[in-house]
Amino acid sequence: MDADAARSQLAAALVRTGAGDRAALRIVYQDSSAKLFGVLVRILKDRSEAEDVLQDVYVTVWRKAALFNPERASPITWLVAIARNRAIDRLRAGAMNRRTAPIEEATEVRDVTPGALDMVVKAEQQARLGVCLGELDEKASQAIRSAFLDGVTYEQLAERMSVPLGTMKSWIRRGLLKLRACLEA
Amino acid sequence: MSDTDDIAPEDEGRVLAAEYVLGVLGAEERRQVEARMAEDASFAREVADWEERLGGMASYVMPATPPAQTWPRIEASLGPPPATAAAQTASLWQSLAFWRAVSVGTSTLAAACLAGLVYIGTRPPTQPPRAPLLATLTGLKTKQPNFVATIGSDGVSLTIVPAALLTTDKRSMELWLIPEGGKPASLGLIAAGQPVRINIPPELLPHLGGGAALAVSLEPPGGSPTGQPTGEVIALGNLTRL
Repeated sequence: MDADAARSQLAAALVRTGAGDRAALRIVYQDSSAKLFGVLVRILKDRSEAEDVLQDVYVTVWRKAALFNPERASPITWLVAIARNRAIDRLRAGAMNRRTAPIEEATEVRDVTPGALDMVVKAEQQARLGVCLGELDEKASQAIRSAFLDGVTYEQLAERMSVPLGTMKSWIRRGLLKLRACLEA
Repeated sequence: MSDTDDIAPEDEGRVLAAEYVLGVLGAEERRQVEARMAEDASFAREVADWEERLGGMASYVMPATPPAQTWPRIEASLGPPPATAAAQTASLWQSLAFWRAVSVGTSTLAAACLAGLVYIGTRPPTQPPRAPLLATLTGLKTKQPNFVATIGSDGVSLTIVPAALLTTDKRSMELWLIPEGGKPASLGLIAAGQPVRINIPPELLPHLGGGAALAVSLEPPGGSPTGQPTGEVIALGNLTRL
Protein backbone atom coordinates (compact mmCIF):
# COMPACT_ATOMS: atom_id res chain seq x y z
CA MET A 1 0.00 0.00 0.00
CA ASP A 2 1.43 3.39 -0.90
CA ALA A 3 1.61 6.31 1.49
CA ASP A 4 -1.47 8.08 0.17
CA ALA A 5 -3.59 4.94 0.41
CA ALA A 6 -2.33 4.29 3.95
CA ARG A 7 -3.18 7.83 4.94
CA SER A 8 -6.66 7.64 3.41
CA GLN A 9 -7.34 4.34 5.13
CA LEU A 10 -6.30 5.76 8.49
CA ALA A 11 -8.35 8.93 7.96
CA ALA A 12 -11.41 6.90 6.98
CA ALA A 13 -11.01 4.64 10.02
CA LEU A 14 -10.79 7.70 12.29
CA VAL A 15 -13.94 9.19 10.80
CA ARG A 16 -15.77 5.89 11.32
CA THR A 17 -14.42 5.72 14.88
CA GLY A 18 -15.97 9.14 15.40
CA ALA A 19 -19.31 7.61 14.49
CA GLY A 20 -18.92 5.01 17.25
CA ASP A 21 -17.49 2.12 15.23
CA ARG A 22 -15.26 -0.06 17.46
CA ALA A 23 -13.95 -2.12 14.55
CA ALA A 24 -12.70 1.12 13.01
CA LEU A 25 -10.85 2.01 16.23
CA ARG A 26 -9.13 -1.34 15.98
CA ILE A 27 -7.94 -0.44 12.47
CA VAL A 28 -6.71 2.90 13.78
CA TYR A 29 -4.84 1.05 16.51
CA GLN A 30 -3.31 -1.46 14.09
CA ASP A 31 -2.16 1.28 11.75
CA SER A 32 -0.82 3.75 14.28
CA SER A 33 0.02 2.10 17.60
CA ALA A 34 3.64 1.25 16.75
CA LYS A 35 4.27 4.84 15.71
CA LEU A 36 2.60 6.27 18.81
CA PHE A 37 4.25 3.74 21.11
CA GLY A 38 7.64 4.72 19.65
CA VAL A 39 6.86 8.39 20.28
CA LEU A 40 5.74 7.66 23.86
CA VAL A 41 8.74 5.49 24.73
CA ARG A 42 11.05 8.18 23.39
CA ILE A 43 9.42 10.86 25.56
CA LEU A 44 8.79 8.84 28.70
CA LYS A 45 11.95 6.64 28.53
CA ASP A 46 10.00 3.86 30.19
CA ARG A 47 8.11 1.16 28.35
CA SER A 48 5.59 0.33 31.02
CA GLU A 49 4.72 3.97 31.54
CA ALA A 50 4.49 4.37 27.78
CA GLU A 51 2.11 1.42 27.60
CA ASP A 52 -0.03 2.97 30.27
CA VAL A 53 -0.23 6.25 28.38
CA LEU A 54 -0.85 4.43 25.10
CA GLN A 55 -4.02 2.91 26.53
CA ASP A 56 -5.10 6.30 27.69
CA VAL A 57 -4.40 7.76 24.25
CA TYR A 58 -6.64 5.32 22.38
CA VAL A 59 -9.44 5.73 24.89
CA THR A 60 -9.13 9.46 24.24
CA VAL A 61 -9.13 8.82 20.49
CA TRP A 62 -12.35 6.84 20.91
CA ARG A 63 -13.97 9.78 22.64
CA LYS A 64 -12.56 12.52 20.45
CA ALA A 65 -12.49 10.96 16.99
CA ALA A 66 -15.63 12.85 16.06
CA LEU A 67 -13.54 16.01 16.21
CA PHE A 68 -11.07 14.76 13.62
CA ASN A 69 -11.52 16.71 10.42
CA PRO A 70 -9.81 14.99 7.49
CA GLU A 71 -9.84 18.21 5.50
CA ARG A 72 -7.81 20.03 8.10
CA ALA A 73 -5.58 17.53 9.78
CA SER A 74 -3.59 14.57 8.61
CA PRO A 75 -4.59 11.52 10.63
CA ILE A 76 -1.16 10.62 11.96
CA THR A 77 -0.28 14.14 13.11
CA TRP A 78 -3.65 14.38 14.82
CA LEU A 79 -2.94 11.12 16.67
CA VAL A 80 0.65 12.06 17.43
CA ALA A 81 -0.53 15.35 18.94
CA ILE A 82 -2.85 13.52 21.34
CA ALA A 83 -0.10 11.08 22.31
CA ARG A 84 2.55 13.77 22.81
CA ASN A 85 0.22 15.94 24.89
CA ARG A 86 -0.56 13.00 27.16
CA ALA A 87 3.08 12.06 27.51
CA ILE A 88 4.22 15.62 28.16
CA ASP A 89 1.53 16.13 30.79
CA ARG A 90 2.65 12.89 32.41
CA LEU A 91 6.25 14.06 32.38
CA ARG A 92 5.37 17.43 33.87
CA ALA A 93 3.20 15.84 36.56
CA GLY A 94 6.07 13.56 37.52
CA ALA A 95 8.66 16.32 37.38
CA MET A 96 8.46 16.88 41.12
CA ASN A 97 9.72 13.42 41.99
CA ARG A 98 11.89 12.85 38.96
CA ARG A 99 15.35 14.19 38.42
CA THR A 100 15.83 16.05 35.20
CA ALA A 101 17.58 14.07 32.52
CA PRO A 102 21.29 13.78 33.11
CA ILE A 103 23.47 16.05 31.05
CA GLU A 104 25.09 13.11 29.26
CA GLU A 105 21.80 12.61 27.46
CA ALA A 106 22.56 15.76 25.54
CA THR A 107 24.85 13.80 23.29
CA GLU A 108 22.16 11.23 22.84
CA VAL A 109 19.95 13.52 20.79
CA ARG A 110 19.49 11.11 17.96
CA ASP A 111 19.72 12.52 14.57
CA VAL A 112 17.48 12.65 11.63
CA THR A 113 17.63 9.84 9.15
CA PRO A 114 16.52 11.68 6.04
CA GLY A 115 15.33 8.40 4.50
CA ALA A 116 13.12 7.53 7.45
CA LEU A 117 9.93 8.77 5.87
CA ASP A 118 6.83 7.66 7.56
CA MET A 119 4.35 5.69 5.51
CA VAL A 120 1.45 7.69 6.80
CA VAL A 121 2.89 11.17 6.75
CA LYS A 122 2.58 12.84 3.41
CA ALA A 123 5.97 12.37 1.81
CA GLU A 124 6.32 15.82 0.29
CA GLN A 125 5.20 17.53 3.50
CA GLN A 126 7.73 15.44 5.36
CA ALA A 127 10.52 16.26 2.95
CA ARG A 128 9.69 19.95 3.18
CA LEU A 129 9.87 19.88 6.98
CA GLY A 130 13.29 18.25 6.73
CA VAL A 131 14.50 20.88 4.28
CA CYS A 132 13.18 23.75 6.41
CA LEU A 133 14.69 22.34 9.61
CA GLY A 134 17.95 22.06 7.73
CA GLU A 135 17.81 25.73 6.83
CA LEU A 136 17.72 26.79 10.47
CA ASP A 137 20.77 27.60 12.48
CA GLU A 138 22.28 24.22 13.47
CA LYS A 139 21.74 24.74 17.19
CA ALA A 140 18.16 25.96 16.81
CA SER A 141 17.36 23.00 14.60
CA GLN A 142 18.86 20.58 17.10
CA ALA A 143 17.03 22.23 20.00
CA ILE A 144 13.67 22.13 18.20
CA ARG A 145 14.05 18.47 17.24
CA SER A 146 15.18 17.56 20.71
CA ALA A 147 12.26 19.42 22.27
CA PHE A 148 9.75 17.72 20.02
CA LEU A 149 11.14 14.23 20.34
CA ASP A 150 11.95 14.24 24.06
CA GLY A 151 9.20 16.54 25.31
CA VAL A 152 11.62 18.50 27.48
CA THR A 153 11.17 22.01 28.84
CA TYR A 154 13.16 25.12 27.95
CA GLU A 155 14.99 24.75 31.24
CA GLN A 156 16.00 21.16 30.55
CA LEU A 157 17.09 22.00 27.01
CA ALA A 158 19.20 24.91 28.24
CA GLU A 159 20.85 22.60 30.73
CA ARG A 160 21.45 19.88 28.16
CA MET A 161 22.99 22.20 25.63
CA SER A 162 24.78 24.26 28.31
CA VAL A 163 23.42 27.66 27.34
CA PRO A 164 21.55 30.27 29.39
CA LEU A 165 17.75 29.87 29.47
CA GLY A 166 17.23 33.16 27.62
CA THR A 167 19.48 32.01 24.81
CA MET A 168 17.61 28.74 24.47
CA LYS A 169 14.23 30.53 24.37
CA SER A 170 15.51 32.91 21.77
CA TRP A 171 16.93 30.10 19.57
CA ILE A 172 13.70 28.17 19.67
CA ARG A 173 11.30 31.06 19.24
CA ARG A 174 13.17 32.57 16.34
CA GLY A 175 13.70 29.11 14.90
CA LEU A 176 9.98 28.34 15.04
CA LEU A 177 9.06 31.56 13.26
CA LYS A 178 11.67 30.91 10.57
CA LEU A 179 10.43 27.37 10.22
CA ARG A 180 6.89 28.62 9.73
CA ALA A 181 8.00 31.13 7.13
CA CYS A 182 9.94 28.43 5.28
CA LEU A 183 7.04 25.94 5.38
CA GLU A 184 4.55 28.53 4.12
CA ALA A 185 6.85 29.79 1.39
CA MET B 1 11.29 40.67 29.16
CA SER B 2 14.77 40.15 27.88
CA ASP B 3 14.06 36.73 26.45
CA THR B 4 11.13 37.85 24.35
CA ASP B 5 12.55 41.11 23.07
CA ASP B 6 13.15 39.76 19.59
CA ILE B 7 9.58 38.59 19.05
CA ALA B 8 7.20 41.04 17.40
CA PRO B 9 3.99 41.58 19.39
CA GLU B 10 1.85 40.21 16.56
CA ASP B 11 3.87 36.97 16.66
CA GLU B 12 3.38 36.35 20.38
CA GLY B 13 0.22 34.25 20.12
CA ARG B 14 1.71 32.35 17.22
CA VAL B 15 4.91 31.64 19.14
CA LEU B 16 2.99 30.59 22.25
CA ALA B 17 0.93 28.14 20.18
CA ALA B 18 4.15 26.75 18.70
CA GLU B 19 5.78 26.43 22.13
CA TYR B 20 2.76 24.52 23.37
CA VAL B 21 2.86 22.10 20.45
CA LEU B 22 6.63 21.72 20.65
CA GLY B 23 6.21 20.83 24.31
CA VAL B 24 8.68 23.19 25.97
CA LEU B 25 6.21 24.77 28.40
CA GLY B 26 5.74 23.85 32.04
CA ALA B 27 2.54 22.34 33.44
CA GLU B 28 1.00 25.62 34.52
CA GLU B 29 1.72 27.36 31.23
CA ARG B 30 0.22 24.41 29.39
CA ARG B 31 -3.04 24.76 31.32
CA GLN B 32 -3.08 28.48 30.52
CA VAL B 33 -2.66 27.75 26.83
CA GLU B 34 -5.47 25.18 26.92
CA ALA B 35 -7.72 27.69 28.65
CA ARG B 36 -6.94 30.18 25.90
CA MET B 37 -7.74 27.57 23.25
CA ALA B 38 -11.17 27.14 24.81
CA GLU B 39 -11.77 30.89 24.70
CA ASP B 40 -10.24 31.84 21.41
CA ALA B 41 -11.08 29.85 18.30
CA SER B 42 -8.44 31.50 16.15
CA PHE B 43 -5.76 30.69 18.71
CA ALA B 44 -7.03 27.10 18.82
CA ARG B 45 -6.65 26.96 15.04
CA GLU B 46 -3.12 28.29 15.36
CA VAL B 47 -2.34 25.39 17.70
CA ALA B 48 -3.86 22.91 15.24
CA ASP B 49 -1.80 24.44 12.42
CA TRP B 50 1.38 23.98 14.43
CA GLU B 51 0.44 20.36 15.11
CA GLU B 52 0.34 19.88 11.34
CA ARG B 53 3.59 21.76 10.78
CA LEU B 54 5.64 20.05 13.45
CA GLY B 55 3.93 16.64 13.58
CA GLY B 56 6.10 15.26 10.80
CA MET B 57 9.04 15.21 13.19
CA ALA B 58 7.45 12.11 14.71
CA SER B 59 8.76 10.18 11.72
CA TYR B 60 12.25 10.58 13.18
CA VAL B 61 11.26 8.17 15.93
CA MET B 62 11.61 4.45 15.38
CA PRO B 63 8.24 2.73 15.71
CA ALA B 64 8.01 0.22 18.55
CA THR B 65 5.45 -2.54 18.74
CA PRO B 66 3.40 -2.25 21.93
CA PRO B 67 2.87 -5.35 24.11
CA ALA B 68 0.17 -7.73 22.89
CA GLN B 69 -2.02 -7.15 25.95
CA THR B 70 -2.40 -3.43 25.25
CA TRP B 71 -5.24 -3.64 22.75
CA PRO B 72 -7.45 -5.96 24.88
CA ARG B 73 -6.96 -3.54 27.79
CA ILE B 74 -7.96 -0.60 25.64
CA GLU B 75 -11.00 -2.45 24.34
CA ALA B 76 -12.03 -3.36 27.87
CA SER B 77 -11.88 0.24 29.04
CA LEU B 78 -13.89 1.74 26.20
CA GLY B 79 -17.16 3.22 27.25
CA PRO B 80 -20.32 3.00 25.19
CA PRO B 81 -20.19 4.51 21.70
CA PRO B 82 -19.12 8.09 22.15
CA ALA B 83 -22.16 9.93 20.85
CA THR B 84 -22.97 11.68 24.09
CA ALA B 85 -19.45 11.86 25.39
CA ALA B 86 -18.15 13.28 22.15
CA ALA B 87 -20.98 15.72 21.83
CA GLN B 88 -20.90 17.00 25.34
CA THR B 89 -17.41 16.72 26.74
CA ALA B 90 -14.74 15.91 24.19
CA SER B 91 -15.80 18.69 21.89
CA LEU B 92 -16.28 21.13 24.71
CA TRP B 93 -13.42 23.43 23.98
CA GLN B 94 -14.23 23.52 20.32
CA SER B 95 -17.91 24.02 20.65
CA LEU B 96 -17.55 26.50 23.49
CA ALA B 97 -15.24 28.65 21.47
CA PHE B 98 -17.43 28.15 18.46
CA TRP B 99 -20.68 29.07 20.12
CA ARG B 100 -19.24 32.02 21.93
CA ALA B 101 -17.97 33.27 18.63
CA VAL B 102 -21.29 32.74 16.92
CA SER B 103 -23.29 34.31 19.70
CA VAL B 104 -21.36 37.51 19.22
CA GLY B 105 -22.62 38.35 15.77
CA THR B 106 -19.67 40.54 14.90
CA SER B 107 -17.00 38.11 16.04
CA THR B 108 -14.12 37.40 13.75
CA LEU B 109 -15.15 33.78 13.31
CA ALA B 110 -18.63 34.64 12.15
CA ALA B 111 -17.23 37.39 10.01
CA ALA B 112 -14.72 35.00 8.51
CA CYS B 113 -17.46 32.46 7.78
CA LEU B 114 -19.59 35.05 6.09
CA ALA B 115 -16.66 36.51 4.22
CA GLY B 116 -16.03 33.02 2.89
CA LEU B 117 -19.59 32.73 1.74
CA VAL B 118 -19.54 36.10 0.08
CA TYR B 119 -16.32 35.24 -1.67
CA ILE B 120 -17.57 32.02 -3.20
CA GLY B 121 -21.07 33.28 -3.75
CA THR B 122 -22.56 33.12 -7.20
CA ARG B 123 -24.75 36.21 -6.86
CA PRO B 124 -25.69 37.69 -10.20
CA PRO B 125 -24.17 41.17 -10.46
CA THR B 126 -27.56 42.82 -10.97
CA GLN B 127 -28.95 41.57 -7.67
CA PRO B 128 -28.23 43.73 -4.64
CA PRO B 129 -26.62 41.89 -1.72
CA ARG B 130 -28.93 40.84 1.06
CA ALA B 131 -28.16 40.58 4.74
CA PRO B 132 -26.89 37.06 5.46
CA LEU B 133 -29.21 34.62 7.23
CA LEU B 134 -28.20 32.57 10.23
CA ALA B 135 -29.93 29.63 11.90
CA THR B 136 -28.85 27.84 15.05
CA LEU B 137 -30.35 24.37 14.99
CA THR B 138 -30.87 22.95 18.44
CA GLY B 139 -31.78 19.45 19.54
CA LEU B 140 -35.47 19.09 20.29
CA LYS B 141 -34.85 17.21 23.52
CA THR B 142 -31.47 18.50 24.58
CA LYS B 143 -31.87 22.14 23.52
CA GLN B 144 -28.16 21.96 22.74
CA PRO B 145 -26.99 23.75 19.63
CA ASN B 146 -26.23 20.99 17.14
CA PHE B 147 -25.67 22.84 13.88
CA VAL B 148 -25.24 26.36 12.68
CA ALA B 149 -26.30 27.24 9.16
CA THR B 150 -25.60 30.45 7.30
CA ILE B 151 -26.91 31.67 3.98
CA GLY B 152 -24.54 34.16 2.42
CA SER B 153 -25.45 37.57 1.10
CA ASP B 154 -25.82 35.99 -2.35
CA GLY B 155 -28.96 34.48 -0.84
CA VAL B 156 -28.19 31.11 -2.45
CA SER B 157 -25.24 29.32 -0.85
CA LEU B 158 -26.00 27.67 2.45
CA THR B 159 -23.25 26.33 4.69
CA ILE B 160 -24.16 24.05 7.56
CA VAL B 161 -21.59 23.25 10.22
CA PRO B 162 -22.10 20.53 12.82
CA ALA B 163 -21.20 21.71 16.30
CA ALA B 164 -21.01 18.23 17.73
CA LEU B 165 -21.50 14.64 16.82
CA LEU B 166 -25.19 14.07 17.24
CA THR B 167 -25.70 10.43 16.82
CA THR B 168 -24.00 7.15 16.11
CA ASP B 169 -27.02 6.30 14.01
CA LYS B 170 -26.06 4.92 10.62
CA ARG B 171 -29.02 6.58 8.95
CA SER B 172 -28.52 9.59 6.70
CA MET B 173 -29.07 13.11 7.95
CA GLU B 174 -31.26 15.19 5.68
CA LEU B 175 -31.61 18.95 5.82
CA TRP B 176 -35.02 20.54 5.31
CA LEU B 177 -36.22 24.05 4.65
CA ILE B 178 -39.58 24.68 6.28
CA PRO B 179 -41.28 27.82 4.91
CA GLU B 180 -43.60 29.60 7.30
CA GLY B 181 -46.87 27.71 7.19
CA GLY B 182 -45.54 25.42 4.46
CA LYS B 183 -44.35 21.85 4.03
CA PRO B 184 -40.69 20.87 4.49
CA ALA B 185 -38.63 20.85 1.29
CA SER B 186 -35.44 18.81 1.14
CA LEU B 187 -32.13 20.64 0.76
CA GLY B 188 -30.19 17.38 0.57
CA LEU B 189 -28.12 15.11 2.77
CA ILE B 190 -25.50 16.47 5.14
CA ALA B 191 -22.49 14.92 6.83
CA ALA B 192 -22.12 14.26 10.55
CA GLY B 193 -18.56 15.31 10.92
CA GLN B 194 -17.90 18.17 8.56
CA PRO B 195 -19.25 21.41 7.12
CA VAL B 196 -21.34 21.03 4.00
CA ARG B 197 -22.21 23.67 1.42
CA ILE B 198 -25.47 23.46 -0.45
CA ASN B 199 -26.83 25.74 -3.16
CA ILE B 200 -30.49 26.39 -2.45
CA PRO B 201 -32.60 25.37 -5.46
CA PRO B 202 -34.09 28.41 -7.25
CA GLU B 203 -37.68 27.31 -6.62
CA LEU B 204 -37.11 27.47 -2.85
CA LEU B 205 -35.47 30.92 -2.80
CA PRO B 206 -38.77 32.80 -2.38
CA HIS B 207 -39.39 30.83 0.83
CA LEU B 208 -36.32 32.03 2.66
CA GLY B 209 -38.11 35.06 4.09
CA GLY B 210 -39.28 35.67 7.61
CA GLY B 211 -40.47 32.73 9.64
CA ALA B 212 -38.69 30.01 7.64
CA ALA B 213 -36.88 27.32 9.59
CA LEU B 214 -34.28 24.64 8.96
CA ALA B 215 -34.51 21.13 10.33
CA VAL B 216 -32.41 17.98 10.23
CA SER B 217 -34.00 14.53 10.28
CA LEU B 218 -32.67 10.96 10.31
CA GLU B 219 -33.58 9.14 7.12
CA PRO B 220 -32.81 5.83 5.41
CA PRO B 221 -29.50 5.74 3.51
CA GLY B 222 -29.85 7.94 0.47
CA GLY B 223 -32.48 10.17 2.04
CA SER B 224 -36.20 10.23 2.60
CA PRO B 225 -38.05 7.98 0.14
CA THR B 226 -41.19 10.13 0.31
CA GLY B 227 -39.86 13.65 -0.16
CA GLN B 228 -41.00 14.49 3.35
CA PRO B 229 -39.21 13.83 6.67
CA THR B 230 -39.88 10.23 7.72
CA GLY B 231 -37.54 9.83 10.70
CA GLU B 232 -36.80 11.59 13.93
CA VAL B 233 -36.13 15.33 13.69
CA ILE B 234 -32.87 15.84 15.56
CA ALA B 235 -32.35 19.58 15.18
CA LEU B 236 -34.46 22.62 14.37
CA GLY B 237 -33.92 26.36 14.20
CA ASN B 238 -35.38 29.54 12.69
CA LEU B 239 -33.58 31.55 10.04
CA THR B 240 -32.86 35.08 11.15
CA ARG B 241 -31.24 38.00 9.36
CA LEU B 242 -27.93 39.13 10.77
